[in-house]
Amino acid sequence: MRKLIIISSLFTCLYGQVRVVSSTSDIADIVKIIGGENVTVTSIARGNQDPHYVEILPSYMIKVRKADIYFMVGMELDLWAQQIINGSRNQKVLVVDCSVEINKMEVPTGQIDASMGDIHRFGNPHYWLDPENGKLIAKVVTEKLSNYDPKNANQYKTNLYQFETDLDSAMSKWNNKFSILKDKKIIFYHNSWPYFSKRFGLITVGFLEPKPGITPSPSQLIQVINQIKENEIEVIASESYFSDRAPKFIESKTNVRTVKLAQSVGAIEGANSYINLFETNLLILAEAYGVMYD
Amino acid sequence: MLKKLIGGLFIVSISFGQTTANPQFSVVGDLIMNDLHNNPNLYSSGIEIAVQGYVNPFARADVYLHKHNDESALELEEAVMTIERGLPFGLGLRAGKFRPDLGKINKDHAHLFPFIEAPSGMANILGKEFWAGTGLEASIFLPVPWYSNISIGLFDSGLGDHDHDIEKEDVHNDHKDKDEHVDEHDHGINEKKEKVFSARWGHFFELSDINLMEIGTSYYKGPESSLMGADFKYKWRPNKYRSLTIQGEIVQLSIKEEHHEEKHADEVYKGEYKNKSDAGYLMINYQFNKSFNFGIIGDYYRETDKGAEINPSIFFGFSPVEESTVFRLKIGQVEDHKSHKKHLKTTAQIIWSLGPHKPHRY
Repeated sequence: MRKLIIISSLFTCLYGQVRVVSSTSDIADIVKIIGGENVTVTSIARGNQDPHYVEILPSYMIKVRKADIYFMVGMELDLWAQQIINGSRNQKVLVVDCSVEINKMEVPTGQIDASMGDIHRFGNPHYWLDPENGKLIAKVVTEKLSNYDPKNANQYKTNLYQFETDLDSAMSKWNNKFSILKDKKIIFYHNSWPYFSKRFGLITVGFLEPKPGITPSPSQLIQVINQIKENEIEVIASESYFSDRAPKFIESKTNVRTVKLAQSVGAIEGANSYINLFETNLLILAEAYGVMYD
Repeated sequence: MLKKLIGGLFIVSISFGQTTANPQFSVVGDLIMNDLHNNPNLYSSGIEIAVQGYVNPFARADVYLHKHNDESALELEEAVMTIERGLPFGLGLRAGKFRPDLGKINKDHAHLFPFIEAPSGMANILGKEFWAGTGLEASIFLPVPWYSNISIGLFDSGLGDHDHDIEKEDVHNDHKDKDEHVDEHDHGINEKKEKVFSARWGHFFELSDINLMEIGTSYYKGPESSLMGADFKYKWRPNKYRSLTIQGEIVQLSIKEEHHEEKHADEVYKGEYKNKSDAGYLMINYQFNKSFNFGIIGDYYRETDKGAEINPSIFFGFSPVEESTVFRLKIGQVEDHKSHKKHLKTTAQIIWSLGPHKPHRY
């Protein structure tokens, strides 16, 4: 282990920066914050892409070929990442699963199969949509960067402390500013938001998809319309990569408002950093529920 | 032996379930409705069974078995170990029976074709089910800023070795149209159990976030034949479910043939000349949204001293549930090689999968 650290430190001295690749733009942003000028980071999936399905391009393998560390989302969300890592033929890359410290939600019990749709057997993998989990990701990132590049470990720890402080202060601001969202009923397109909803007090009544990953059928849309009328639901929120057709159809038949949220950093305008991702989403939701901010 | 192996794998997977240590087990099946507007018939090309997984931290193994829907034996399509990490200079290595890196389409399994059946010109040259050889293939990334990969392989069997025995005996009449078409163009290579060499140099460019381009050149050399090819693929993909793909490929096969020429009544000269045939296709496929795609394909074939054949087709696809179920329809021109008359042929296909090996890709 000591030899590995010495060799990795030597490489870092030679090349100057730790080369990091991450599966998603959220983890890339956290790595940027923790690593600062000591790292270069590239994300495989763009913010506006569906992270479940990423077409494996040969150019991704070239990105990973010279990487020192690869940060995965894990929980079988980015199964494609392993193919990219193996295809890169990079023997020294350290692969890190960022989900290790997460308190996982919706872990299925009993047998799961394709009749249940796109179910993840290790639980719902959209954990980065809770800012508290962002801190846990940052801790993993700090630990791995510090092990790989011990001479800058103090800097990484300082950056972690600053990130946690910024998130705490943003959280207390959001809890006041967006308290209107507490106990509001909502329908989502896909089940990407349990961590987000739990943190900000939203009540998820249903989904446009009849089962995870299955396109809404006309009968499902009618069922959702009835659900909206019965429960007086005001908002349908969808991820940026889904088509507007189904939400807009429901909007035309009911008084519901449809909005698009950023499921990842860079998915929509304004969500240009991990903290701004939440700020932007909360603002969009609050306005959809009728609260206007200056 | 093969049946016992598969039976064993199946029982193990059912009895113990999938753990992270077990390989992944998939099945792809289909139903084809052929010649819909004329003399409709229904058949299945059988099932493909895939067993895939990691052998160790450095290598993975992929086994594909095909059971045709007839009395033929279970056929080993591919059984290959791929060493992805651990070799010096970033080398990759494939060993076993597999589809060599030759051109663009040869590596794809037929269920991935949005146009249902392989372009007939390419099938005439690469073999009805394309070329799968037993051997070794090494590949290396060149140290350039873009993806540039060279693959070099040595195999013990050449083009045209992936035949389905029972079809040769004409037992299975359901495939009559397809078989006639290919048999008429038998390119006559007989390189079974002869060493052959293949190579491909491929490049991939991300022109922008949504514009992707791939180009490649291929070469094949056997004792009786040689092949040269070039391929390209352009993809415009503004999001996961919308894309325009333009893909084309052209190959030229040269075959040495013995030629006996009677110059005088009592004098025979023996020599060699090269019989050349060219094949290619150009496909444009537009994926409208998550469920629908539409495209056209032009299929080209020409033999020495014969005119070129160009047969266009249009195709349509509907994938209601991601990548696990697909309905496809193709209306295309085919040529009757006896009468040289061209007619329209309509083919529909329903294809499904269990497990992670999917019949369709976005």
